[in-house]
Amino acid sequence: MTSDNDRRRGLLARLRGRPAARSRGRRRLGAAVRLFAALMLAGGAYTVFAPGAQAQDNPPLTGAAAEGKALFDVSCVTCHGRNAQGVEGRGPSLIGVGAASVEFQVSSGRMPLARQEAQAHRKPPVFTDEQVRQLGQYVQELGGGPVVPGTEDNLHEDGNVAAGGELFRINCSQCHAFGGGGGALSSGKFAPSLHPATDRQIYAAMLSGPQNMPVFGDNQITPEQKADIIAYIQETLKTDQDPGGFNLGRYGPSTEGLAIFLVGIVALVFASLWIAGKS
Amino acid sequence: MKRRKFDLAATPGKAAVGVDDRFQVATPLRRLLNKVFPDHWSFLLGEIALFSFIVLLLTGVFLTFFYEPAMTEVVYDGSYAPLQGTPMSAAYASSLDLSFDVRGGLVMRQMHHWAALLFMAAIVVHMLRVFFTGAFRKPRETNWIIGSLLFWVGFLAGFTGYSLPDDGLSGTGLRIASAIMLSIPVIGSWLTSSIFGGEFPGTIIISRFFIAHVLLIPGLLLALISAHLGLVFKQKHTQWPGPGRTNGNVVGERMFPRYALKQGGFFMVVFGVIALLGGLFQINPIWLFGPYEAWVVSAASQPDWYVMFLDGSTRLMPAWELNIPIGDGYVIPPLFWPTVVLPGILVGLSTMYPFLEARHLKDRKSHNLLQRPRDVPARTAVGAMAVSFYVVLTLSGGNDVIADKFQISLNAMTWAGRVGLLVVPPLAYYVTYRLCLGLQQHDREVLAHGVETGIIRRLPDGRFVEVHQPLSAANGHADGHGELDYVGWVVPKKMNRLGALGPAVRGFFYPIEKPVEAPVSPGHPPVEPRPERAEIGSGESRH
Amino acid sequence: MSTHTEHQAPQGREPLDVNDPGLTRFDIVREGARRDDIEIVHYEPQVLPGTKAERRLTRVVAGFFLITGLAATAFLAIYIWWPWQYAPGRGGDKFYTPLLGATLGIALLAVGFGILTWGKKLLPKEVSIQDRHEGAVDADGRTITGQTMLYMADELGVKRRPLLGISLLAGLAPVAAVAAAPLVGGLISQPHKNNQMFTTGFATAEGGQRIRLVREDGRPVRPADISTGGQLTVFPGIEHGVSNRHADSPTLLIHLRDSDAQESRRANERIGHGDFMWGNYAAFSKICTHAGCPASLFEQQTNRLLCPCHQSQFLITDNARPVFGPASRRLPQLPIEVDSEGFFVAKSDYTETIGPDFWERP
Repeated sequence: MTSDNDRRRGLLARLRGRPAARSRGRRRLGAAVRLFAALMLAGGAYTVFAPGAQAQDNPPLTGAAAEGKALFDVSCVTCHGRNAQGVEGRGPSLIGVGAASVEFQVSSGRMPLARQEAQAHRKPPVFTDEQVRQLGQYVQELGGGPVVPGTEDNLHEDGNVAAGGELFRINCSQCHAFGGGGGALSSGKFAPSLHPATDRQIYAAMLSGPQNMPVFGDNQITPEQKADIIAYIQETLKTDQDPGGFNLGRYGPSTEGLAIFLVGIVALVFASLWIAGKS
Repeated sequence: MKRRKFDLAATPGKAAVGVDDRFQVATPLRRLLNKVFPDHWSFLLGEIALFSFIVLLLTGVFLTFFYEPAMTEVVYDGSYAPLQGTPMSAAYASSLDLSFDVRGGLVMRQMHHWAALLFMAAIVVHMLRVFFTGAFRKPRETNWIIGSLLFWVGFLAGFTGYSLPDDGLSGTGLRIASAIMLSIPVIGSWLTSSIFGGEFPGTIIISRFFIAHVLLIPGLLLALISAHLGLVFKQKHTQWPGPGRTNGNVVGERMFPRYALKQGGFFMVVFGVIALLGGLFQINPIWLFGPYEAWVVSAASQPDWYVMFLDGSTRLMPAWELNIPIGDGYVIPPLFWPTVVLPGILVGLSTMYPFLEARHLKDRKSHNLLQRPRDVPARTAVGAMAVSFYVVLTLSGGNDVIADKFQISLNAMTWAGRVGLLVVPPLAYYVTYRLCLGLQQHDREVLAHGVETGIIRRLPDGRFVEVHQPLSAANGHADGHGELDYVGWVVPKKMNRLGALGPAVRGFFYPIEKPVEAPVSPGHPPVEPRPERAEIGSGESRH
Repeated sequence: MSTHTEHQAPQGREPLDVNDPGLTRFDIVREGARRDDIEIVHYEPQVLPGTKAERRLTRVVAGFFLITGLAATAFLAIYIWWPWQYAPGRGGDKFYTPLLGATLGIALLAVGFGILTWGKKLLPKEVSIQDRHEGAVDADGRTITGQTMLYMADELGVKRRPLLGISLLAGLAPVAAVAAAPLVGGLISQPHKNNQMFTTGFATAEGGQRIRLVREDGRPVRPADISTGGQLTVFPGIEHGVSNRHADSPTLLIHLRDSDAQESRRANERIGHGDFMWGNYAAFSKICTHAGCPASLFEQQTNRLLCPCHQSQFLITDNARPVFGPASRRLPQLPIEVDSEGFFVAKSDYTETIGPDFWERP
């Protein structure tokens, strides 16, 4: 099976016009990253990271966490409680959710919540990017957890859309639909549309599993694969105006059925009214 | 040698004589040229289906030149980058090539798919017209049955065609189809395994569907359509009641030339609309669905609209599993009822309806005059009930999309569908029935009292009454109203529909010709035509 | 002039002599129609020859046909010269199909409306009445045909010679069966060959070797690969395990939270599946027991698994019991553990039947 797969990947790489050797090298690098991420995650959920471990790839911004705490105490404390331990019936504990979770929830405007309902909706964000980072840093220092790497906005620069497409179909499309437009879940919950999401938000969502979304940690989907998925979403689903005309919102056959009646049948009925009408 | 003079003008005539000498076609041809067809817009709905079928044949033949009906695994290396290097079936790869690497292939594929949707939509709309006007009554029951069969055969044609690209969405549909076959008691597993050549999905189903889709089903459709048209021709078209129209005649136009010309033009219009749809609206973007893999699915997985009612019935079905405790135990899964039993009942009811109605009404006469839906409230109400049943099921077939886009709970949508399926049809029956009676009553009222004029008159005692324009001359009734019988046709409800004004004058900004003389009612002076304008320069008077 | 409004001619009229030189061509047309029981009761040219109206309509029709020509030419030009090869992004090729459709559509619509205008506006309007001849049943014809058929039956003498009929039927019945036999015999396929409906790719191999759970790219899975609240689609680690040949094998491996895992394990124990989970990990068949779609919309907070095809919802922490929708049977659970190398393996095959229900499912 593995050799089968190797052949497939090699082929893939060749088709992409990328030398297979480099891909293998990349894979080794990927394995190293996976190992590292596994180590991070193994201790992630319930233990507090030593600040020194953080320092490796995310140098602490002096005072950023303190700034974040100030913001937290003004906007978040009502539901998440003092020191982010959570308030029964209002908001969950934020210990261990990591900066990724904060970045996703706050930068997409979902938090602060407007009202309690089945699921938070995307809104214009309340905080600036800088403030989001400070809040994230605060929560990160409280309990650790997953972090979106770097500060760059574009995370899919060398992502591969074909590999991303395959991963998207197996991991994402069941909820977010083939066109990334989102879909319904049970009892009023839903998978949101991916179209307004930025690279960092998608990355953060995969890492942190917001609300009912399953977590796709770095062991399961490596950072490299995450970049592939983001590339597929951003370049193929959002940017690529695929051929064939207006896409009818990509809701699948439902809107096509609507269109045949609203456009096809209506136009032809008017035509037949004219043809058979008394001139 | 004497050279004969070649007379070009006489050649067609001579050729015609030559043909008739051999085949004696002059008289049958005259009969054909002379066939009379009644003219009404609703009689053109069936033609939409016929014409889209022709477009389907034309575009479908094109597609077969490039499509490869095989499930052998290949690695895609076509020009659509986001799928390059993905292993897939040859059928899917060739469908992608058809879309990306065959010049103009995509517009053909999209036209084919749109034409299929239009074909089914037109069949349904045409069927509704036939039903609500009573055109299915004796002697046309056979044609009604053929028409209903056309819907179901078209359904199969659509489903097999939808499955051919072997993409993620259609593969999911195929998976459900196999589950439906599997759910049939006793023979289910044998049937499925025989059709799929083993366990799902096997390696042969696409080739089998292909031959069914391009040969068997179109052949059947062609045969049914020919029989359908032949019967219309033989039995002559129904017509609406009206002046001079009886059960024993057809009032309309001879088939040639005007009627045939209009049909030809309409074909082009249908073809044109399909071409516009095929070019401007994307349909079934298979490249986004990916190849069919048994573990891949997308949210909002729906079949094409004409299958959606079955999907809806499946979604609404409660989880009632029937266990038969004999031996090891046997099961009738909940899937069986909404997908096998329900369509079975629908086929039976729809094909048998003409006989059921005739039996109920003890009606053995032949009917060539149509009925206005309001004049047969019971039938119209039954029809409304059937339509609302179908609509609730179809909407439920897309209830996840509705739930998502209108932010309704998915579970609430399912419950709404379950309740709606039981509540809406009877409600539709009642409302339609009352509407029909109301419309009937209004017709009778206008016939008895005349058209509302909008003129309010105050009586000496201070009451206000509206002045009505009677439709017939007074015949001695105390109130000056005449008695008119309802003849099953439109009753004018507005003053400018009375027909006393004569045909409208042609010309958009100024009259381009003298108006024809208005019909003269006894006791009224003839309407004077307007004075001619200088633009009218034909030099010929009408009489 | 050319407006004819007449009443139906009385029955039993004399046929016209169509060779009479005094007749106009219209007279002959009308005579032909009358011979087919058609009475042209109204025949009125809509435009008079040479009028301004006629010239205007002619121009309109000609205009339509010229539009067709232009649009068709544009179609050809676009077909040949427009860049059509797919390129990712917003290339000009995106407009290739819309332009083809638009030009073709315009060409066809224009020719259609041209013909329609011609037929509708330029040709004379008419009202013709044709008899249906339905009421008058040809009684003689019925008698003659009926008697002829009965006579034919007499000639064949099936009644007198019943052996002929019986032997013919007896002979033809097997012929019909002969026609059906290759079709049925060729297509029929034993559904329980190799017990295929009750086994999956996780069935233990011959040497008693347990099957590993692998990912879509064939790599085996370690517990650390799935974060808490995560899910992973896994396949049997056998040849072609990740392919449609084992369409019933895809499995969802879920890493539950501590509390949920405890609840889940208790539920397992209730039905005697106490050892099916490994740690906080549980594996359920991804193939919905309702219609076979991949039920894979896992809600990690409610622990519900939703099937996108018919909205069946399964509660993972209660043995994947269906809690909503049309599914009637829980998703089968795969007993799993971790082997000595630290990879997930299936302890055995599924103990329940995978996929949609059928009649003889025990």
